Amino acid sequence: MKMNDSLTQSSIKVAKQAIIKTPDQINWWMWLALAELGIIAFLIIKEQLKPKDTAKQRFKEESLKQEIDFSNIINSSFNSIQLYDELKVKCHPDRFPTDMEKNSIAENIFQEISKNKNNVKRLLELKEEAIQKLNINF
Amino acid sequence: MLDNTWNNILDWFRDRSERAKLVRSFNESARTSFVAGIAPTLLKASISKGESSYKHQFSNWLNTGFRIQAFTGRVLTKDELIHIGKVILDDDVLVRRLIVLGWDTLEIHGDAGNYGCRWQLKDYIPLPKFNENE
Repeated sequence: MKMNDSLTQSSIKVAKQAIIKTPDQINWWMWLALAELGIIAFLIIKEQLKPKDTAKQRFKEESLKQEIDFSNIINSSFNSIQLYDELKVKCHPDRFPTDMEKNSIAENIFQEISKNKNNVKRLLELKEEAIQKLNINF
Repeated sequence: MLDNTWNNILDWFRDRSERAKLVRSFNESARTSFVAGIAPTLLKASISKGESSYKHQFSNWLNTGFRIQAFTGRVLTKDELIHIGKVILDDDVLVRRLIVLGWDTLEIHGDAGNYGCRWQLKDYIPLPKFNENE
């Protein structure tokens, strides 16, 4: 009985020594390999999950970068017809039949007016241009 | 496979946020213009079901309509509806933004009456053909 006890005690002692690692027993190489593996896995996953630079993606990115002038859109929805009607009459090239220079300027302005008939901001710029270059009184 | 799914999830969340931001910005501008007296009618943008036959390569699965409601208190004439639509469609930057954010239909209607106008957005901007396998 006594012998059995001492055997058990000895076995427990040996087992404890085997399980508990002293600082000297840490396998640094294993941890280094694990860290390397982690870094490699991280880099691979990061590369895989990076958005692909496709033409579609580029088109989308470019479109999202541009600024939208909502106040001009709202303003144009209600005030562009009136302004366009006024400008198309006052800036018509036929109003300058003798002065060829002014006729040419009026033609360019008139074309721009027709092109931007639903854009109040641009129409106002053209109105200013017409006042300065064609001496039109609005 | 994994990267595609992951990027699709990210894109979906980002698009959702951009869509909400665009609608909010439009409504804020409309409200400011109405309060300042620049616009005689209050416009309100919202997301609607859209028309499934107008689909394009950027279209969302659901809710592909960009609806603008004009609060006039009367039935808007067809010309008035068309003019508001034309102003939106003439703005290339806005149409492009609507398309890339998954909208394919523009709807304009008033608060009274039960008719409105509808446009197919892809008709108003040249969309390049993209190779999905690129």
